[in-house]
Amino acid sequence: MTTVEQHQDDTVKHGHRHEGPQKHVIVFIFSIILTAIAFASVMAGGVNVAFTVILLVVMAVLQALVQLGYWMHLKDKGHLMPIIFMCGGAFVAFTAIVTALYWVWW
Amino acid sequence: MAHAHSVKRHTGLMDWLTTVDHKKIAILYLLAGGLFFGFGGVEAMLIRLQLIKPMNDLVSAQTFNELITMHGTTMIFLGVMPVIFALMNAVIPLQIGARDVAFPFVNALGFWTFLFGGILLNLSWIMGGAPDAGWTAYTPLSTSTYSTTHGVDFYTVGLQIAGLGTLIGGINFLATIITMRAPGMSFMRMPMFTWTSFITSAMILFAFPAITVGLVLLSFDRILGANFFEVSNGGNPVLWQHIFWIFGHPEVYILILPAFGVISEVIPTFARKRLFGYSSMVFATILIAFLGFMVWAHHMFTTGLGPIANALFSIATMLIAVPTGIKIFNWLFTMWGGQIRFTSANLFAIGFVPTFVMGGVTGVMLASAPADYQFHDTYFVVAHFHYVIVGGLVFGLFAGLHYWWPKMFGRVLNETIGKWTFWFFAIGFHLTFFVQHFLGLMGMQRRIFTYLPNQDFDTLNLVSTVGAFLMAVGVLLFLFNCFVTAAKPKGVANDPWEDGRTLEWAIPSPPPEYNFKQIPLVRGLDAYWKEKMAGNKEMTPAEPLGSIHMPSPTILPFVMSVGIFIAGLGLMFSSEKFNNSFMSMIFNNWIVVIIGLVITFGSMLLRSLFDDHGWHIEPEELEEEGVKA
Repeated sequence: MTTVEQHQDDTVKHGHRHEGPQKHVIVFIFSIILTAIAFASVMAGGVNVAFTVILLVVMAVLQALVQLGYWMHLKDKGHLMPIIFMCGGAFVAFTAIVTALYWVWW
Repeated sequence: MAHAHSVKRHTGLMDWLTTVDHKKIAILYLLAGGLFFGFGGVEAMLIRLQLIKPMNDLVSAQTFNELITMHGTTMIFLGVMPVIFALMNAVIPLQIGARDVAFPFVNALGFWTFLFGGILLNLSWIMGGAPDAGWTAYTPLSTSTYSTTHGVDFYTVGLQIAGLGTLIGGINFLATIITMRAPGMSFMRMPMFTWTSFITSAMILFAFPAITVGLVLLSFDRILGANFFEVSNGGNPVLWQHIFWIFGHPEVYILILPAFGVISEVIPTFARKRLFGYSSMVFATILIAFLGFMVWAHHMFTTGLGPIANALFSIATMLIAVPTGIKIFNWLFTMWGGQIRFTSANLFAIGFVPTFVMGGVTGVMLASAPADYQFHDTYFVVAHFHYVIVGGLVFGLFAGLHYWWPKMFGRVLNETIGKWTFWFFAIGFHLTFFVQHFLGLMGMQRRIFTYLPNQDFDTLNLVSTVGAFLMAVGVLLFLFNCFVTAAKPKGVANDPWEDGRTLEWAIPSPPPEYNFKQIPLVRGLDAYWKEKMAGNKEMTPAEPLGSIHMPSPTILPFVMSVGIFIAGLGLMFSSEKFNNSFMSMIFNNWIVVIIGLVITFGSMLLRSLFDDHGWHIEPEELEEEGVKA
């Protein structure tokens, strides 16, 4: 039997491994903190704009990872294909944008 | 029985409108694709008739523009795509040992949205003029400033709806191939046609959003007065070219990869050898898909991207010749030393190899940016892409249709007529398009509706038109073959070619609606061949005989698509000035759009609120049918 099927079998046998609410509450609070930091950095104003933009992007990426990993279960077993395809899609989109920006437009 | 639900079984037309069976949807795709292929073919004949002699006036310049636009659009989106989906639907669930696709309802929805999109696009002929801006619909030619009829609206809205169907179909096949393979069928034991369809579906998933966005932007420009491509208001027409080709180049690989898959099935079967270099074939397919997204700007060398962009896209394009070359050599090595049988299917497959190589070679020539300045917008380009799309894809589709026809319909196509089909089509094809290389090199432009005499264009254009008619004879012979075969009684063996290697040949032709009485156990690549070589008559089952869960037929996919169709028409004519006050009222106040959307979303609501539990075929019924057979 191959690994992919073993993955599938594992999921069938154990279902989603429930870690209890504790971890989810922590992740939820973490998400809110990320949002709060992003919000506050803009509200505060005055701070260097470039710094704010970078901070926002970092917060956004972290937020996306948390959402995908915990709430969309990508960190769990049996999610190899969604991960491959999301990375593939992101790669295609990013290369197209970067190529368009750096080769074609300028 | 806890799960026994009675299900209404339809007959006749209702059966076809409500079916969710992948084998019937395959036949629907084939019929619809064949119909649109016919439209595109008639358009091609008219184009060739117009160009048969210099200064011909068979059609006007405007009609000629409409013909070339509709020929390209119809053939790509409505002719070959559905026939690819027909083969994918007919074969993939069987090849992976599944009872249906992952989402049978969604499968039907994909077909009906495609069909209604296609109908909408073709309605343009009788509703005020077809699109006339070329199949690429380049802005500013396609903006409302320069294209004042509703033609391009039919293009944007029709393709949007048809594209929805393709996207739905692609996602469905991804889910099917990932989740529904029989026990033992790892990714590296999947038949090559399943592999290429898998990669094609992934490319559909990544490429179609680009055209969706592009078509939305163009519709907004034309219908709602936006300015994405209007230079006078700060828009950028080149942006359309980028968006179109970010989709458009992957699209041509979306088309050709399934043909590669077909060839990789047909050649080993009729050479009685396993496919040479299976894993390198898989690798090459993935590499082609990957590179296919990185080369779109080679369609735009002459827009002035600058030397760096042109050079890099040039190199990226030439790189694609490497994995494609791997495939060509693998096919040759598969045939090498094999016991080749020249059936019609194999004739098309073998004919494919040199023809496609010729298209590939001109592709590498076009990839060279400096040379492309000479070739651009000449008949050389026309010759190139017809060599890869007709000489590649259509040959592949004919090979696949002859090969899997017994599995789809239970009857083998007449071999004699099949061979005549091949020779008429192949000779006609080369006669039509080989000379176009030279027409292009001598300076004949694409998309011109006529030309002056004594420029050395006269004879070659005549030859090209004669060739086109030979191709038409080939297609008509195929059609004739379908009817002749349909008149014969059903009842071919499970494996009519006797050397079938993959799972679809292990079950009756045509398969029962549940495909596999018991899901088979796959013990290697070419699963059925492996069992044969082990001396087994049939596949080892992977499960005990039990009741089989089937999806219920439903009319909802059809109704949903009708809704989208109505909404599309309503959107197109939303700002039209009608003479009739009632028409103005319902169109200009968006009432038609709202009616259409209510139908679609209402159907979605119905689908969500009432659970479809499906129904079961019990083991006793299976036994009865077993006795009958």
